[in-house]
Amino acid sequence: MSEPQRAKAPDAGEQAKVGVYICYCGGNISDHVDVEKVRERMETVPGVAVARTNMFMCSDPGQELIMEDLRQGRINRVVVASCAPSLHESTFRSAIARAGGNPYQYEHANIREQVSWVHHGQAATDKASRLIAAATGKARTLTPLEPLRVTARRHAVVIGGGIAGMRAALDLADMGVRVALVEKTPYLGGGVSRLVRLAPTGEDAAHLVTTLARRILEHPGITVHAGSAVTTFGGYVGNFTLGVSPVPGACAPAGETWPGGYVPGKGVLVPPSPDGGAITLETGVVVLATGFASYIPRPGEYGFGENAEVVTLPDLIQKIGGLEGQRGGTLVIDGRPIRSMALIHCVGSRQIPGIHEEDANGHLNEHCSRVCCTSAINTANAIREACPQTSVYELYRDIRTYGRGQEELYAKASGNRVVFMRFGADQAPVVQRGAPGSGHPLKVTVTDQLTFGEELEVPVDLVVLATGMEPGPVADLVEMLKLPVGADRFLLETHPKLRPVELPIAGIFLAGTCQAPMDAGETCNAASAAAVKAVSLLSKGYVELDPFVAEVDVRRCTGTGACVQACLNPGAIALETMDIDGRPVTRARVTPALCLGCGACVAVCPENAIDINGWTLAQYEAMVDMIVSDAVCQDSGAVPETVGA
Amino acid sequence: MSQDISAALVSKETLKALRAERRDWIAGASALARENKKARKAVMDRLAVASATVPEITEATGLPPDTALWMVASLKKFGEVVESEKDGSFYRYALAAEAAQAQEA
Amino acid sequence: MDSSKNAVFDAVVIGGGIAGLQSALDLAGQGYKTAVVEKDASIGGKMIRLSKVFPTLDCASCITTPKMAAAAHHENITLYTWCDVQRVEKDATGVSVSMIQRPRYVDIDKCIGCRKCEYNCPVLVPDTEQGGFSGRKAIRIPFSNAIPQKALLDVENCMLCGKCADVCPTKAIRYDQKPEPRRIAAKTAILATGYELSSVTGKPQYGNGDIPNVIDSLQMERLLAPHGPYGRVLRPSDGMIPDSIAYVQCAGSRDASMGVSYCSRFCCMYAVKQAMLLSGSLPLADITIYYMDIRAFGKNYEQFYQNAKAMGIEFVKAKVASLDAGQGGAVTVRYEDQTGEGATSRDHDLVVLSMGVLPGFAPGGVCPVGLGPDGFIQSVLPKLSPSVTDLEGVFVAGVAAGPKDIVDTITEAGAAAMQAAKYLTALSGKAPGAANKESSHE
Repeated sequence: MSEPQRAKAPDAGEQAKVGVYICYCGGNISDHVDVEKVRERMETVPGVAVARTNMFMCSDPGQELIMEDLRQGRINRVVVASCAPSLHESTFRSAIARAGGNPYQYEHANIREQVSWVHHGQAATDKASRLIAAATGKARTLTPLEPLRVTARRHAVVIGGGIAGMRAALDLADMGVRVALVEKTPYLGGGVSRLVRLAPTGEDAAHLVTTLARRILEHPGITVHAGSAVTTFGGYVGNFTLGVSPVPGACAPAGETWPGGYVPGKGVLVPPSPDGGAITLETGVVVLATGFASYIPRPGEYGFGENAEVVTLPDLIQKIGGLEGQRGGTLVIDGRPIRSMALIHCVGSRQIPGIHEEDANGHLNEHCSRVCCTSAINTANAIREACPQTSVYELYRDIRTYGRGQEELYAKASGNRVVFMRFGADQAPVVQRGAPGSGHPLKVTVTDQLTFGEELEVPVDLVVLATGMEPGPVADLVEMLKLPVGADRFLLETHPKLRPVELPIAGIFLAGTCQAPMDAGETCNAASAAAVKAVSLLSKGYVELDPFVAEVDVRRCTGTGACVQACLNPGAIALETMDIDGRPVTRARVTPALCLGCGACVAVCPENAIDINGWTLAQYEAMVDMIVSDAVCQDSGAVPETVGA
Repeated sequence: MSQDISAALVSKETLKALRAERRDWIAGASALARENKKARKAVMDRLAVASATVPEITEATGLPPDTALWMVASLKKFGEVVESEKDGSFYRYALAAEAAQAQEA
Repeated sequence: MDSSKNAVFDAVVIGGGIAGLQSALDLAGQGYKTAVVEKDASIGGKMIRLSKVFPTLDCASCITTPKMAAAAHHENITLYTWCDVQRVEKDATGVSVSMIQRPRYVDIDKCIGCRKCEYNCPVLVPDTEQGGFSGRKAIRIPFSNAIPQKALLDVENCMLCGKCADVCPTKAIRYDQKPEPRRIAAKTAILATGYELSSVTGKPQYGNGDIPNVIDSLQMERLLAPHGPYGRVLRPSDGMIPDSIAYVQCAGSRDASMGVSYCSRFCCMYAVKQAMLLSGSLPLADITIYYMDIRAFGKNYEQFYQNAKAMGIEFVKAKVASLDAGQGGAVTVRYEDQTGEGATSRDHDLVVLSMGVLPGFAPGGVCPVGLGPDGFIQSVLPKLSPSVTDLEGVFVAGVAAGPKDIVDTITEAGAAAMQAAKYLTALSGKAPGAANKESSHE
């Protein structure tokens, strides 16, 4: 557990000289906190050697301020007051390391999310001052720490066998990482298998899926566990343990046998796992590629479930396939000629509170499903080109053909005389039975904004609902792996730009539509991006963890075992017999890699014999002393209750 | 142009050659610098009287309003001018030195 | 900074914007020696010039500067800024990049970024880093967060007065610096050459750039940015606080006659974002967005758009026909109202054009990579591996392969790094398992 690049280990006994660096955050902080006032106050705080400000502390010139002070020996402890530590704590720790300091002699004060975004004026300036003063109190007592180094298995478990999972698995395996691909159905291919031709470039879905699946099945570095699901999960980055069991009833129907190849709508049938029963996978990283679920309209939503002539777009796509044998005349579906059809966009997407009805669980799909506009237009074009006698109406809110080549499809649809009508979110089209004698089983009534709000009635033989993407059914994984989920119920990345395929749990990555709606190309990009992060993490053979774990003072420990009882991660702390002063005694011992650093043990120890490194009780006390002290805000004349009152 | 040429680590001859080579650019830049100087002085003189809005600077200096604003923005960047209080639909600008004095007083 | 004229790397990334930096970081993180070649004097690309970014409203600097700093300090990354790529050649041995190191007229090993030269320079010219709204000196640090923090002299606006050389504490000024050819050899390349906005000049319906207070969206980013020219949003013609600001969407996109026929993809969202920021900084102002379709398709984008509507930003579905100079610095927007009023017009104090996105790099004669009809670099595997081009071992990331927002760009940059790493692995035969056969088999 050593870090070779460190220039010099600071002397733990030397006098603490704290450098305080306060960020303007380009106005995010300085618009509400008087940053220069705070700096002046910090200069008076005991132990503070320098206090500086910068427009962006995280910028190179900002980091250079810290590094120069460290190199010149002006300071040996650092406090940065800026945004939430989740954003840039690691940025500043690495700057300290580059300047030869110990990155753990650092304390972060969050004066953006906890101050400037929620308080204003004098109260904001005072609260910022107290928080920073508290950080300096802690910083003065910080001792040098070394990161925990644990070996990492060069192995990945990819959960989900759609194109995201397959793309990630191939990328990892091609880099020499052994991969176990776990898929709950007996097929590889996922959502793409339910498509026929992919917009806008027209690739054959079967070909795409087969290409990837064949390479997966032939790859010596990849083991596929189809018809299986993850049932248990434990461990930590580099050393996860997953239990995988067969999914009851997940087997191919009779008639589909390996080597059966591609089954439309399902994917490539995979030979059953040789193990048959439950197995345990030991792995270094986990890639989540669990995909999405198609929105199923509520009974009665646009006549769905009440009229056989109302179908979803995914159903239509599968029904018409490549439009074989449909050339020249009227589209025929199930023996019924379709002379006129309406495609309704945004079904189960872009729902607005107060306008749309929540589902049985109280959920609304407020998100845009991203792919349906292009998919609908692609389908409309295919039908108009093959069956010119079939009229196609598209009823939309906004046409979102955003991607490369997609706007061209939209333009082509106009050329193909697809008729577009635009409706407002609060003026959804109404699908009803057609008038007797009208010759069409259904009619769609819409207030069309493209013709100045005229109410139009369109007689149709078919209504197609462009249903969106919803989060897949992954509640079990969310619970087991403690995954963060956004308000949209999709899995939530750490940060959309800083760490777009990562989660707060180190070693677990996101690939594809489990995170948000994406098209096939975007999905494969996300999967490759997840793979590159996983490969980087595994490239050294070890991973470094923050050393904020419990440590037992065996001189004070009396072996009560209270800590073992309180421990939230079984195995992280245990009683052991050890020799002290030539006598065998029972004492608590921590396994650092398993310790969560939660402090539950600290709270229950009757002897105060256990502490969390970097977060000791003494350090908390130092912070509390500074927070409650009014010394730092004396100049404002404000009484203590200005803060948090 | 009496500066110590050695500061730029170029010989007199090289500098002479560069001056000849870049004659048009130098002429253009010199004209620009003269214009800058004039506009700068006009703005600074006006602000030395009292803080002013862009329309007030325009009125006093004859500079077009976009030029006046551009010069104020440039002077602000280099710390010579600061923004002062809001005045109707405009902001007032003041000399940095005077603003600092006013704050101390 | 490597100063040798011929350098050898595992990978070279052309373009030091957010795409190129992310690709370089993801390659360097695996231990590959990576060069980043940037045409500008600083890395950071378009993103570092932005104010805040959608849909989280993080300041752009807070996201970009750490990545810039991480790249600049990475032991496996070498930055080449202020370089013009002349040729990118690919043969059996790898990729060779020939380029010209443009002179900064400053010895960057000596420059300490103190800006004394800048303060003393007597020549002020419009600062394109600030949308032209304020001046910069002939010698200057490009902008406050620039990396490297080194001065740069613009000789076309230099009178050779010698003041900068006089005040430079490290004697770093070099008036006689010459362009220097450089060559980089690598085994693989990633093209991350980004974009430029189309220009309003040549668009008579928008006044060719001659109507005061008609600006483009990147100029508005500067007005909103913390280091912006005015430090707040003002009308550039006279410094007035605007009461009414309008956005013209698809100003040069989705219309071949106006510029480009494709959708520029991120203009809807930045207009919504800017409108939100404006309503924060100018709570009394009316903000109107003239649009055809609002394309809020990304994660949390639709929710962001609905929030903007709830905040009172007005969305008018209309194709703007033309702009004219109105009374007292106002801009008259003429448009077809879709609610039935027909041709109509409205005056605004400030109008922002959401200009189309054009490729930042024309590879013609420089790099034999295939392009799409839109001029962006073509992907040969747009579904399974969008970063793969028709040049084996040369990959593409970000807007170089078509307009995309920052989130999609960063993800694609990671993907490109993955494909480049696989290519390197297959070349060296180091990693067990199948070789990379993507381009031939998929």
